[in-house]
Amino acid sequence: MNKTFRFIKARDNIMRGIFLFCAVFSIFALGCICVFLFANGVPFIGKIGLGNFFSTTWNLNNESYGILSMIVASLYVTALATTIGVAIGLCTAISLYKFCPKKIVPPIRQMINLLSGIPSVLYGLFGMVIIVPFLRDSVSPNGIGYGILAASLVLSIMVLPTIVSVSLDSLNAVPKNYYEGALALGTTKAQSVFMVMLPAAKNGIFAAIVLSIGRAIGETMAVIMVIGGSPLMPKGFFQSVRTLTANIAMGATELRGDAATALVATGLVLFFFTLLLNISFTLLKGGFSFERKRAQKTNA
Amino acid sequence: MKKILAVVSMLVAFILILTACYGNSSQSSSTSSSSSQSSTVTSSNNSSTPLSPNASAFDTTKNISILAREDGSGTKTAFMELIGLKGKADPENVIIQTGTAGILTEVKGNPNAIAYESLGYVTNDVKMLKVDGVEATVANIKNGTYKISRPLSIVYKEATLNNDINKAYYVFLQSSDAQTIISGEGYVSIADNALAYKINGSLQGSIDISGSTSLQPLMTELAAAFEKLQPNIDVTVSGGGSGTGYKNADEGVSEFGMISEEFSLEKAPSCTDYVVCKDGIAVIINKNNPLDSILVSDLKNIYDIEAGSSAITKWNALIK
Repeated sequence: MNKTFRFIKARDNIMRGIFLFCAVFSIFALGCICVFLFANGVPFIGKIGLGNFFSTTWNLNNESYGILSMIVASLYVTALATTIGVAIGLCTAISLYKFCPKKIVPPIRQMINLLSGIPSVLYGLFGMVIIVPFLRDSVSPNGIGYGILAASLVLSIMVLPTIVSVSLDSLNAVPKNYYEGALALGTTKAQSVFMVMLPAAKNGIFAAIVLSIGRAIGETMAVIMVIGGSPLMPKGFFQSVRTLTANIAMGATELRGDAATALVATGLVLFFFTLLLNISFTLLKGGFSFERKRAQKTNA
Repeated sequence: MKKILAVVSMLVAFILILTACYGNSSQSSSTSSSSSQSSTVTSSNNSSTPLSPNASAFDTTKNISILAREDGSGTKTAFMELIGLKGKADPENVIIQTGTAGILTEVKGNPNAIAYESLGYVTNDVKMLKVDGVEATVANIKNGTYKISRPLSIVYKEATLNNDINKAYYVFLQSSDAQTIISGEGYVSIADNALAYKINGSLQGSIDISGSTSLQPLMTELAAAFEKLQPNIDVTVSGGGSGTGYKNADEGVSEFGMISEEFSLEKAPSCTDYVVCKDGIAVIINKNNPLDSILVSDLKNIYDIEAGSSAITKWNALIK
């Protein structure tokens, strides 16, 4: 009896250890990545100087590792992609929320979610084979299809699922009696959705925007294939530029020595951007759930 | 009922998407087939005149889409060095592709593109330009008339070959086994009538090779093949650059040094060289482009970021 009990207890402890290990593993991985980024990136930036690192010249042959133009390119691409994506995605969410036949909502949602399952290299291929030649032949004034616009268009499709599903969920989380109350006060359907429901769901929608920014700034493969890759300061939509992620991925397999460390330092900058986005997402989500709780309280 | 409806509508949507895609692809395939037809016409006319009569179909007012490989690529380093732009950055608006396949796909699809690629990898989907009037062929690279090529060599002290192990590797590099690998990797083999390597089972030891990073990938392949034939010999291949190759061979640090330029006796007075193979770089354009030949000086003005007013950015500077 005692023996069995001890066995069970030992087994419990072992299992507890295993589960704890699994829980700690992800933290350990995060810690390792942070240490790797900081231990390599910070001394490198110190060595070449902030002035060199945040200049606009990237030329490995004379040890210029300026990534400012890539930061700017990353921001341009992200901003434009999010603008297009949010405009389309929010309209889709609103239409799915109240303005289209209930029967077609599940299949449409399903298909939009399917978009998020497509590997990014396929988006890149689509962009490279369809969007870039189209822009080159029909839109671009200088005969170059690669650049900020092509990357933004591809990315805006990629962020659609995030925007649609998160903002639709937050719209659905707004209590129904807000809507009914607004109708009872004599507003039209459109007025009550745009004036009452949308403002009530704004935190969730902001969260969707932040998430999509995160996806857009971190996307690598699809962007590399349509961005061109020249490390110059962006001056227009149709110019070959390079984003932070593209810079890392293009050199990762070929570069050695200082140039490879420069990529780690680039990663450090990217890490700061995503960290900033994550913090703002957490803050927004906090507000989002608080709003929900308050709504539930008033319901009760 | 709801579920069935949902499934049916989804299927309908899918079929619509598929038909849309199919329609699109059949359209594009028809256009591409027509373009390939016109390109065959172009090439058949090209034999007599430098520019084909239907050059008007090609819009020469368009900007040149300048393609390049990523930093650190051996092909890029070699090309820039050979056209006299060693260590310079890419020109403005360069489109960077991270691999051979990317370069070829873009040149195939973009009528305004120009690019460079190792001769061995160029396919029939693109058009190779003559450089300074010389066609990029294996024969022209072997006899040295094609400009954008360079020898990839090993340097060693004569005494090194007195050692049986080193001698075995030297013989192996000249063997037909090595030539097969050289051609297979896209380089130009210059040893004619090579004989198969004869395995000598009694050999045991190690060889150290270092130097040019341009030759390093090929040398690594060759060393691996050699180790398979002679399992008791260990071959270590490391990089460092041609300078390291000269230095290590001259000082006896490595048995063989690798260099990717014409051998110069001043850099390693105690050594002699053997050309392992030659590396040819082809300049390629889209098949619909009527241009046939380009000068190295023009190439330089296309790829030079500091070309200033002499920079060539439009096709009409080359096609008149």
